[in-house]
Amino acid sequence: MHSVSHYGPALSVKFLDRFVYAGYGPFLHVYEYATGKLANKCLIFNKNKVHGVRIGDNGLILCYGSRSVNLTSIQDVHEKSSIVESEKHTSEWIISGEFNSDCSQFYLLTCYDRVLTCDLECHVVKKSAVYGERSILYSGSIKVVSEDKVFINAGTVMGGIIVWELFSETLVANLLGHSGSIFYVEMNRDGSLIASCSDDRSVRLWDLKSQKELSVGWAHTARIWHLLFYNNDTRLISVSEDCTCRVWDIQSGKLLQSAIHEVHLTKNVWCVDVNEKDQLAITSGNDGRLRLISLTEQESLQRNFTIKQISDDSKVPFAKQEIIKGFHWFSFGLVAITSEGKILQYGNQWKFLMQNPQFKSYSMTNGISKDNIVIFSNNKCNLLILKFNSEGSEIVASRELHVDTLTKSQNCMVCRHHDRNEFFVTLESPNPHDPFMCLKFDTDSLNLRGQFGLKKPESFASSCLEIYESFLLVGSRFSVIAIFDLNNTSQESLVSRRLTPGDTTTSIHLVEFSIGGPVFVVTNRDGYYNFIRLKLGNPIEELEIIHSNRTARGFLEGAYYDNNGDLITYGFKSELFYIYNETQCYEKAVRVCGGAHRQWELARTPEGFMLVFIRASDLHFTRVIEPKVPEVLQCGTHGREIRDIALLKDFKYKNGHLFCTASEDTTIKLCHVHESTGQVTTFWTLRKHVSGLQRCKFLSSKLMISSSAREELFLWELTTDCNTKPYIKFRQALPISGNNPDLRITDFSVKFEGSNFILAAVYSDSAVKLWRYNHLQNRFQLAVEGHYKTCCILNASLFEFKNQSYLMLSATDGHLSLYNLTNTMNGGTVCPLPSVESSIQIHQSSIKAMNISVDDQNDAVRVYTGGDDNALAICAFHWESQTKRLLPHLKDVQRSAASSTITSSELINDDKQLVTASVDQIVRIWDTENDKLVLQEQKYTTVADTGSLDAVSNLLLIGGVGLSVWKTEHH
Amino acid sequence: MGKSSKDKRDLYYRKAKEQGYRARSAFKLLQLNEEFHFLDDPNLKRVVDLCAAPGSWSQVLSRKLFDKDDYTDRQIVAVDLQAMMPIDHVTTLQADITHPRTLHQILELFGNHRADFVCSDGAPDVTGLHDLDEYVQQQLIMSALQLTVCILKRGGTFVAKIFRGRDIDLIYAQLGYLFDQVTCAKPRSSRGSSLEAFVVCQGYNPPEGWQPSLDTNSSVVEFFQDCPVGSNENRTIAPFMACGSLESFDSDATYHVEPSATSLDPVQGPTNPPYKRALELKRSGRLTRAV
Ligand SMILES: C[S@@+](CC[C@H](N)C(=O)[O-])C[C@H]1O[C@@H](n2cnc3c(N)ncnc32)[C@H](O)[C@@H]1O
Repeated sequence: MHSVSHYGPALSVKFLDRFVYAGYGPFLHVYEYATGKLANKCLIFNKNKVHGVRIGDNGLILCYGSRSVNLTSIQDVHEKSSIVESEKHTSEWIISGEFNSDCSQFYLLTCYDRVLTCDLECHVVKKSAVYGERSILYSGSIKVVSEDKVFINAGTVMGGIIVWELFSETLVANLLGHSGSIFYVEMNRDGSLIASCSDDRSVRLWDLKSQKELSVGWAHTARIWHLLFYNNDTRLISVSEDCTCRVWDIQSGKLLQSAIHEVHLTKNVWCVDVNEKDQLAITSGNDGRLRLISLTEQESLQRNFTIKQISDDSKVPFAKQEIIKGFHWFSFGLVAITSEGKILQYGNQWKFLMQNPQFKSYSMTNGISKDNIVIFSNNKCNLLILKFNSEGSEIVASRELHVDTLTKSQNCMVCRHHDRNEFFVTLESPNPHDPFMCLKFDTDSLNLRGQFGLKKPESFASSCLEIYESFLLVGSRFSVIAIFDLNNTSQESLVSRRLTPGDTTTSIHLVEFSIGGPVFVVTNRDGYYNFIRLKLGNPIEELEIIHSNRTARGFLEGAYYDNNGDLITYGFKSELFYIYNETQCYEKAVRVCGGAHRQWELARTPEGFMLVFIRASDLHFTRVIEPKVPEVLQCGTHGREIRDIALLKDFKYKNGHLFCTASEDTTIKLCHVHESTGQVTTFWTLRKHVSGLQRCKFLSSKLMISSSAREELFLWELTTDCNTKPYIKFRQALPISGNNPDLRITDFSVKFEGSNFILAAVYSDSAVKLWRYNHLQNRFQLAVEGHYKTCCILNASLFEFKNQSYLMLSATDGHLSLYNLTNTMNGGTVCPLPSVESSIQIHQSSIKAMNISVDDQNDAVRVYTGGDDNALAICAFHWESQTKRLLPHLKDVQRSAASSTITSSELINDDKQLVTASVDQIVRIWDTENDKLVLQEQKYTTVADTGSLDAVSNLLLIGGVGLSVWKTEHH
Repeated sequence: MGKSSKDKRDLYYRKAKEQGYRARSAFKLLQLNEEFHFLDDPNLKRVVDLCAAPGSWSQVLSRKLFDKDDYTDRQIVAVDLQAMMPIDHVTTLQADITHPRTLHQILELFGNHRADFVCSDGAPDVTGLHDLDEYVQQQLIMSALQLTVCILKRGGTFVAKIFRGRDIDLIYAQLGYLFDQVTCAKPRSSRGSSLEAFVVCQGYNPPEGWQPSLDTNSSVVEFFQDCPVGSNENRTIAPFMACGSLESFDSDATYHVEPSATSLDPVQGPTNPPYKRALELKRSGRLTRAV
């Protein structure tokens, strides 16, 4: 077995010149940060993770972590794939390391507050400590102030911070004030200031000389793991368990929070470094992501105008209550209309263009940025359309129009055709019997090209628009979409109701044309989004949802694919406007805007975005500059434990395989693994579950099931024939029996009957339930119900043998138990679970891993089990032909097959071998031939809390805190 | 700290409240004893409970040792970083067990007497860095062991909480040098999904000729440096033993019970977590993102 790729906790990051050096598990990754290119991956330690990286002026790089150190040249880590042969060990855990002032030696601070001074051959030349202070530390740092001044800052669990001087081995200060263990201490450049953080979640600033606490910063909502002074000690940056990175201004000894960046997934940001030249910070987290953020001030990107300023600037007097009613942003600036019908333009300055009294008091503004067209409308069905030249210096065409088929209009919307130089304006009247009006214009001449009176569906209130060929897609309140064919207006529209729980549809955008039809992304204000596909025909046959998901939180206003194929979503979240990379799950930008507003617009600009909104009658402009550097250097995976992995084995997808990971963080990720490089790409993070996941499995090439606490069991459907991405939608949930939040569905198993299937679900309260699933009706129906005992069931497997239907269970009581269900499921009534046919205790406690291999030829069913008791066993159930029963015989058991819980196993190589994963972080391959377990191979994995495993051909995926891809050699 | 509804549904939690224990942990010690009977020895007189707060193990020990009239020579010393509410017959000490000074204090409390039993249920502040958490946990065990070799009588028993992580086999090997019998025991009241288990080390039997000496200026690692313990990279796997009968409650199972009524209020006084202030600020909406 060998590792091909790994994603998981990154504990250290460092900038130097053009590069970022990141401790990534036992590796050091070298990235060229301007391009995001991974320049090299170098293995530093055999087993330990790289907790710290220090770079000397002498071209040497010091890596430490756990009880390991490795000193090497920068050149080596750029060129070699491994330097483990120079790894050295200490007897105590290394808390920190640092080069001395002329880089002729380095210091290591151990967790018992001792400093080892080492020469460049890594020989310890001196040991130093301050007398009597030898209790355990959680943190500490070494500050080399000068050639003869080195401070040691030690963070204890009970005694606050102990500062001592290295050469004299004398106590300098004991800083008391925090409560709980100290998790980080950092000293500024000249050794006058100390910043610290502890279990109390505050950041504190101390003056060393007076030993006084200067300031306490409360802001983080969980523990803080790393602190760093920068910009000449005028700033401090902190990263935390709460997934954020925060910037603090230090003004006359006071800490003032000045910026917050949400940078990682739940939970833990471990490390941060700052590049002062480019004002960039890099953060690393438990999710294995490396995130680059810009530290430049945002204030310079913002402008506000009061009504008075606009009036003064444009030199037109405004009426008393006159306000801005609408606006549209173009590449040349803003065009706005006031409540008196004054039309104004803003480039560098406000300019009055014209006044049209028809648009007094009520007006709506729409625009088409691409063609520099602005469309004003009022409730009397008047339209004013203006077209500017690209500089905005001239109006090149204009048109005024009255639509007389409607008496009144309450909504006007606009969209442009993707392929033709046409745009469409819709007008909707409050009268439900009035038609829904659509006008077609030429984008150059602004000539009216067509007029369509469409039949409005019931309880419809238009909210967004999209046009594809001749199909007009109109989103409405209550999560409704209506599709009209403008070539065939006599036809009823196709209406799809309640795509999601039911707020307003906020946007519809074409994303691709797949073999199955055009695909659109649809967003809903309540935070849900869907991808829908139209099956075209005459009339349109069908609207199919191929993807459904929910954004992290807040109001969702729109979504689009960026140039990398990442889905970007935006909207409001309490006080903030956010722009979010949904594919990779990170915030691109947030702006404080005071909450959701009626009038706002997000425009894409060459440099990023322009957000315009009105707040308390002031007009606000906020630019969002897209960074010139990549936003992430490494995407990573879940930030918490991966509890299960399911590879889709039926078919290959783009040089590899699709798979799902189910995590403690309550999400499921749909990913792809490249079969030769092991590279993992995440497509979707599904947020339907509300509790930590237990299991996920593919049932077929199209269906997947996941389960968790709160009796959540969801059936998902996969679509793989689109060009952009695979899509996955929620199809159905298993009915629940009550509201016990602790009740987990710990496992399930499925047996197909055509396109329908039987599902066996097992629960943490010992319940066993069998359900029939009808595909056409999309319905689960309970068929068998009963209890095993009272203990928690952990595994279930349905199988057929000798024309009989069986269910095998394993539980926390260490037993394997077999049910014969052959004559149980009949008719429409719910049948009781029959009694156990046979049972055997194999383990002392929980059976965590169970695999079944049915051997028809030899009249046996083999069950491979791994347990909490470290044991691995083979049990064969033999067919007794007289009694027609399967009876268990223990074949082999290895009592100490691992040094801790065996959590997962898989049969590979035609069931001739078994791979196991266990919490001791060792993956083992066992030969199973002749019913004997013989250890073939074992290898340490850096994935801690190793809890899940799956294999396809020679690929092995290992999950826990992180995800590793290994290859096995075929024997 | 308020208990979540999850705790209120937990049968061990309820049982602890009903029997007046401060924590459900009491049943871990009781179930270990069901298998190993180390607390049933009539000669059990002096015990040390390390990392003892809030104190349910000390309560179990107090009930076992002081259930008869003859109290002579009986002594329980309980140590923790956190303050503990008083328990009958238990001397409490608020201190860090990794600090060499703490061990001196405990030795002083015992005078010239040896202990019959040392236990430690110590758990560090879990950071989420598995390697660090497991290391610190091992250091708590080593600190407890350091005290043990200074105070435990020959043949005595040592029980300590372990995390069964990546290097647990090193600890088993080290303990094997000092005790006749080392078992990895998992009480049924300990959740199957957690890494937690206990080492039960019976028959204290230190290597011949090794004279441990406590020096305030050495760390526990240095203390064990010239003992066969800790000095090599031997790995062994201690036999596993599940404790508590299969009929006892399964801590992984879900039981359908109503969350316990308020009449079962915690016996233990309110604890004071270090992040109390931060929680208050968060609850009052003072830590929002809009800056
Ligand atoms: C699981 S609790 C013990 C519960 C206890 N056995 C009972 O039954 O109530 C773990 C304890 O270890 C303590 N602890 C952790 N590190 C310590 C240290 N270095 N010194 C002393 N106590 C420590 C914690 O303060 C915590 O109270």
